[in-house]
Formats: sequence, structure tokens, C-alpha cells
Amino acid sequence: MAGKGGATPATYSPSPTTDKQKPALFKEDWVRPDGRGFHQCRPAFFRTGAVNAASGSAYAEFGNTKVIVSVFGPRESKKAMMYSDIGRLNCNVSFTTFATPVRGQGSDHNEYSAMLHKALEGGIILESFPKTTVDVFALVLESSGSDLPVVISCASLALADAGIMMYDLVASVSVSSFSKNLVIDPVLEEENCQDGSLMITCMPSRYEITQLTVTGEWSSPKINEGMQLCLDACAKLAKIMRSCLKEAASDSKE
Amino acid sequence: MRGIQLPLSQTQKVRLQKALEKLESISSKVNSAASVIIADSIPVNHEDGVLKGHGTIDLNGEVVATICGVVERVNKLVYVRALRSRYKPEVGDIVIGRVVEVAQKRWRLDINFNQDAVLMLSSMNMPDGVQRRRTALDELNMRCIFEENDVVCAEVRGFQHDGLHLQARSRKYGKLNRGQLLKVPPYLVKRQKQHFHHLEEFGIDLILGCNGFIWVGEHIEAKDDMVEDQVSQSDPQVLLPNKNCLSLEEQEKNYTILETRKYICRAANAVRVLSMLGFNITLEIIKGIIDLSISMNLDIHEMLGSDFCVLVAEKEVERRSSNKKKR
Repeated sequence: MAGKGGATPATYSPSPTTDKQKPALFKEDWVRPDGRGFHQCRPAFFRTGAVNAASGSAYAEFGNTKVIVSVFGPRESKKAMMYSDIGRLNCNVSFTTFATPVRGQGSDHNEYSAMLHKALEGGIILESFPKTTVDVFALVLESSGSDLPVVISCASLALADAGIMMYDLVASVSVSSFSKNLVIDPVLEEENCQDGSLMITCMPSRYEITQLTVTGEWSSPKINEGMQLCLDACAKLAKIMRSCLKEAASDSKE
Repeated sequence: MRGIQLPLSQTQKVRLQKALEKLESISSKVNSAASVIIADSIPVNHEDGVLKGHGTIDLNGEVVATICGVVERVNKLVYVRALRSRYKPEVGDIVIGRVVEVAQKRWRLDINFNQDAVLMLSSMNMPDGVQRRRTALDELNMRCIFEENDVVCAEVRGFQHDGLHLQARSRKYGKLNRGQLLKVPPYLVKRQKQHFHHLEEFGIDLILGCNGFIWVGEHIEAKDDMVEDQVSQSDPQVLLPNKNCLSLEEQEKNYTILETRKYICRAANAVRVLSMLGFNITLEIIKGIIDLSISMNLDIHEMLGSDFCVLVAEKEVERRSSNKKKR
């Protein structure tokens, strides 16, 4: 990134500081950028009904990571698609131009879209709406680490808000590994210099996992520890999500 | 936050809060214990044997909800009524839809359901009112009847193998023009004996579609259904849809006088206020709101202001409590 800048003076962008920070992380008395404990998640905030035009929507805020998800449908599949007995799920994750510290293009994120699809697919009872499509549009307003887990949790809340049949709410949490430490719910700085990451998407009240993503170097005992950590956090996260839905349910009734 | 989104002053907020609380106390039958969210287990008495209905699933012998909503029980049947969901058609419902596509012998209509509805050429009365077989020529002339994006009123006929079918076998159904289409959440429109209303004092028509689409338009005199076979049958020809090249004469015929237009807007705003507050939409209430706004000498645009909304909420409390006393 920085190498390019030498040849042609490009437009100004804040110099990436992550490289310099890296050695600091190996110290014994390292503290996380936002002062959390290693096994402590950021405070989570959920709200349903953020978008009026959608059939269901939700807004989620984990520290500085802010995400809005809207769900449309179920509506009739496009004609070009083949007949199918089960419903289709169509996911799209995009970033705003101002989502990252360096002003970007605000483009679609195909990898995240595919991962979101895989994560939600298992939680939805697709048999309940044959021949139709459900569209899930996620927009990352501000990206500050652990974007995908936040998007997934928020999307499951939006689906519930849209009245779509689901086996259970889907909650997702990620863990970063640093040599011998495990850090839950990493922020952007930590994600940039992690040795490996583990993301679990699960349905806590059924104790089923819909997606598990592992990258980087992991030893078996460490992966066990990481998974346990994630599952515990997912269960707690689901509790917050449920209380948000409960609140919305009691509000909308007269 | 899906609540009511209005810029309210402090006193207005208090008044609205009070009104809503009163409404809650009037409708006492709602018990919040029955509301569930996804993956909540629904307590049932297994000895009697239960029938699991919509929105429930069996998990290790427990009945578990799969949607957010309210638990309803009918004898052995346990089901969950969703809080918010798309429109579920029932046979005989009067719906309003928008033409999505003109296809072989049929129109596809968006009626706010999971799937598009089908209106067959053969299941609607021809504009000339003659009962006969539909010929290939009629098929070619389909665009003269409805085009894409036209607003159409029809009745739900039932589910056939290829989807939801509609019919429009009377003069009151058909294309709607010279008016406004409003979209409200479908649960606000309850099934009633009458969905077509003619508000004589204002000269407007009001159609409450069960699918949450509401039509407010100029009153159109329903002509006699059966017109005798007349001379016009002489030379069948392909007609061209001539929407954009109306003659002056026709334009004059289609002209809606200002007074009527104002009433249309007033009625439309009444519906908007109701959907904003989340009240059921019926003729009686809409009429009440229009009268209220006229008696207060409000401009049409002022009807959407927060002050008027609060007032409507308070009126609704009065109405419901007086209804209750009568009973």
C-alpha cells in the first residue's frame, strides 16, 4: 500500500499504522485498543423496524460497527429462475463510502454476501415459501471490525421482524487468535494483525451450528477453547436479540 | 423504532401517550403472555394431543414457535398469528393490484402476496359487456383493457395449480383511474360485508382492498352489466392502446373537477393518518376524520401534521369507549 505512494504522489490518505503496532501486541501487558478484557464483547445494541419500506428490518450497533439490514419479500421469484419447491434466499452485503477510515468506493462485498447466505440458509424454513424469493440487503454504515458476525446477527433479527419462519434466531460471534491469546469480538486494528480467526454462527436454543469459518493457524486445544468462547457469547447475544424482539412485540400491540 | 414517527411537542406527546394507553385498556382481551418470538416453546397440554398449526414446529416433543406473533388456540389446534407479515389471500377477498405483466391470456398482478396473482382474460367481463368466447383477437387487444402498471380491482377466485387466480366478473371490478392508490399494512383492513364505498357527499369512491391497497378516486357510475349486442360488432380489428394520444374531447370527459380532487386528497390523507397511528381502516372512521378536518377548517396538508394525528387518536378513544358502552 505504502510502496505505491513513493512513485506517484497519490491523493492523501492516512498512513496505515497497523504495521508499527504489531510488535506491541506480543508484549505481556498488552491492552486492547478499547480497553476491554480479552473475553469481553463490545456492548451490543439492536433495534427492529429501521426501514419503513421493507417488510422487515433491523439496525445493529456493536461499538463502532454499525449495520442496517432490510428484508424484502417473500416475493415471486424472477421468471428466469427455475421452479423450486423451496424458497430462495438472496443476500447482498454492501459498504457505504464512509464505512472505513479510508474513504472507499462503497461497493458490494461478494464474499460477505455468500457467507451471509450460507449462515442464514440453515436457520430459515425455506419450505414455507415455495417459488418465492426473500431478499436480504445489508448495509455496513461503519466498519470497525467483526463486520460479518454483526451483519449475520442483525439479518436474522430483520428476518424475524419480517415474519419469516425460522427454526431459531441466528447469532454470530468471531474470535481472533494472537500467538497464545484469544480475543473475542475483535476490532479493526486487531483484525488487521491477527494470526487467525474463528467465526461461529449458531442457533443457541437448538444448540446447532449453521456456519463455522476458520482462517489462519490454530491448534486443536485452542480451537476448542475458541469455539466454547464463541458459543457462550452467541447464547448471550441471542438473549439480547430476543429481548429486543420482545420489546418490539409489546410495543406494536394495542 | 417502528412506533409513531412524528415531530411531537411535549404536550402532544403526553396526550398521545394517554390516548394510546386508554385504547389499550379498552381492548382488554389482549394478554401479553400469549405473545411469542422465534424459538419460544409454547406451553401445551400434551395429554389432549395437539394439532400444530401455522408458525409452529416440533422440537424434541415440544411445540416451538417459528415466527414472532401471538399464540392462538382453537380447540386442539395451536397456531401463531404473525405480528407483521404479507397479505394472505382468502377466497372472495376484494383486492387491488397493479399489473406487472401482460402474458398469454392473462395478466399478472402484484397484490402484496408472496406470489403474483393471475387474472385470466376469460375470468373477466369484456368491456363491451358481451358474454362470448375469447378469441385470438381479444388476446391481441388485451393491452387495451389493462396495461402494465395499471391499477386493477378484482376478487380472489382461489388457488389453482399455477398460482392464485383472480376474477373480475362485474362492472364494479376493473381498471381504476382518476384517483390515488394507498398502501397500508394489510392487517389494518378487516374483512367486511362492503368493501366498495361511495361517499356521495364528496362524490368519491373508496375501495378498501383486503390486501392493504386502498383506492380513493372519483366516483364512477356503474353502468348496466349487460349491454345488448349492438351494431358495433361489425368489423373486428386490432385496437391499439391509445393512452398518450387522447383527443381533446376525451380529455374533457376525463377531467376531474377541483372540488372532487380536494376530497380525494382529504380522504387519502385520512387513510394515511390512520395507518400512521396503526388504527383499523373502516369507512365509518375515515368519514369521521374527513368531517373532523372539514369542521376544523384544516387544509389538506395540515391533516398529516402531528396536532391532527393526536386529535384523531383522542377521537378514536372516544368512539371506542362509546361503542363499548352501547354494548
